[in-house]
Amino acid sequence: MYEKAEEEIIPRKWYNIVPDLPEPLSPPRDHDPENSSINLLNKILPKEILRQEFTSSRYENIPDEVVEQYLQIGRPTPLIRAINMERLLNFKGKIFFKNEGATATGSHKINTALPQAYYAGREGVEEVVTETGAGQWGTATALAATLNRIKSTVFMVRVSYEQKPLRKKIIKLYGGSTYPSPSNMTEYGRSILSGNPDHPGTLGIAISEAVQYALDHGLKYMMGSVENSVITHQSIIGQETKKQLEAIGENADTLIGCVGGGSNFSGFTFPFVESSSEMIATAASEVPKFSKGNYGYDLIDTAGIMPELKMLSLGADFVPPSIYAGGLRYHGAAPALSLLIRNGRIKTDEVTEERSMQAMELFSRTQGIVPAPESSHAIATVIDYCRKPENQGKTVVFNLSGHGLLDLSVVRD
Amino acid sequence: MKLALYFTFPYPDRETFRKFFDETLKFNFEYLELGIPTDHPYYDGPVIRKTHGKAKENYSEDMLEEIVKEANSRNIRVYTLVYYNHFVGREGEFLGKLKSMGFSGAIVPDLLTDYFSERNQLISKMDKFGMALIPFFTSSTPDSVIRDIAGKTNGWIYHGLQPSTGIKVPVSTDLIVSRIKELCPGREVIFGFGINSKDEIIDLKKSGADGIAIGSTLVPCMESMDLDCFRSKIRMLEEGVNGI
Repeated sequence: MYEKAEEEIIPRKWYNIVPDLPEPLSPPRDHDPENSSINLLNKILPKEILRQEFTSSRYENIPDEVVEQYLQIGRPTPLIRAINMERLLNFKGKIFFKNEGATATGSHKINTALPQAYYAGREGVEEVVTETGAGQWGTATALAATLNRIKSTVFMVRVSYEQKPLRKKIIKLYGGSTYPSPSNMTEYGRSILSGNPDHPGTLGIAISEAVQYALDHGLKYMMGSVENSVITHQSIIGQETKKQLEAIGENADTLIGCVGGGSNFSGFTFPFVESSSEMIATAASEVPKFSKGNYGYDLIDTAGIMPELKMLSLGADFVPPSIYAGGLRYHGAAPALSLLIRNGRIKTDEVTEERSMQAMELFSRTQGIVPAPESSHAIATVIDYCRKPENQGKTVVFNLSGHGLLDLSVVRD
Repeated sequence: MKLALYFTFPYPDRETFRKFFDETLKFNFEYLELGIPTDHPYYDGPVIRKTHGKAKENYSEDMLEEIVKEANSRNIRVYTLVYYNHFVGREGEFLGKLKSMGFSGAIVPDLLTDYFSERNQLISKMDKFGMALIPFFTSSTPDSVIRDIAGKTNGWIYHGLQPSTGIKVPVSTDLIVSRIKELCPGREVIFGFGINSKDEIIDLKKSGADGIAIGSTLVPCMESMDLDCFRSKIRMLEEGVNGI
């Protein structure tokens, strides 16, 4: 049984920021002048997802079946006041966190996996394919696929495949198949392996393999971040947060979240874009897309199969260091997010792995929840922010994009 | 419902272009859009992109002027579709030349995405030369930008239905038409990108579209120099526009 109040917190529409942006979003662009990679999206994406990708509608209805699935996997996620953290920091204000780690798969990724799998299933698709870095997206895809009675195949960045065996096991429990990327399953994977049989893989390579595999086998591809439709689905985070804050008579002075491709941060903050809330996006210092990224067209995938997008990017060939926060290793940031950073609406921070580890410890000890290494970067920004005299008295809300219970190998003995 | 025809000038070569242009004049259409060939027509789809290369090799300003004047003499308004990156930094000279050739205005597809901060300056410069900036909007153009640009211009509005020319992804045509009509009440809106069937034109008409712009669908006929193919396509467009 669901509490009626819980059902009412879940919005019945996703929010699409595109019509509310201060400037137009540059359209996707073909990488190959001879062919249309935009046309290719027809082959690999469910029709409804593609429609949502290019829609001008501010709101998209959430199908009843997806609302039911959201309830099943633990939505609405709780908004919790971090009182112990406030006390430890001696912060004269309020800190709240939206706990996306409370979903069945332990992160926000399920918010878009469910509708993507739902639309694919409704269009008669029998199998979906995707990539995963740290494993959270692959896990979400596998669960969403099984809930919608379809198969799933996941290309997992080789270094994570070897270092995170538990993720593989969960995907298997959900009925999905995983392959380490680069793999022998695609021509692109084979070409990488022929040059370096021990290649550790990158998310860009894994995306290329998943897209290639979908094309080769007539399957549909699931998109984990960056694309507009994904961010639209993730708006459920921010919309729930808004209602939860309203219910307790609070306003967010500041919203903070971490950025890999940008979907959790964008989904959390975009529903507040017309408010006066300050917004701070945190990336990893080791992947300095905010401070050193170039704003221009770049590839989403390393192989250049997908259309190019205009975004802040370190370059598709950027090889990120092996930081623990695998979800923050992506070279670019979603176009709408990049645009809002460029125009100053969203501020940025970059946090070192050392600072994020300290934040992880502090949060675990005060609040009892082990944050994901990615979310720990956002917590580091929160700590820094709340220690500044000028921020005392403010209400700070951050998105805990996932828990870190499957990442405990990162914790120092 | 109005019909606007787009050609990259002079694709595939001057002689063939002339033949097809003469054929075009036998039909009824209101607006002629002439694309000025450029090295990087990056917001166009592959069909139109290919036309730019050959057109650039055969480009002739004298012939362009001749075509524009001839169209004007038949009460057809002529607009250029030109990327801002083609004339940025030499706007005065370029716009002056267009005006003297007889162009009524210009559609600048990269203005709002790549030169957003220069939009007002370009509108003012075009006003000075008596040239209309035809606003180019898509589903990605925010409401506030549409209202702002529509308020600063007077001509018709060009709305791309698809993310690129000649491309077809699923779109909600009804929603696109009703949104732009609501944001720009009373303005004439011509829809383009990916339209290639009579049924689509009839649906657009039912949705309240004031006109359609056609380009990519005519290119294969010109490429194969097939005048019969060209005639039957334009007839089909006319039938759609007239709701037959």
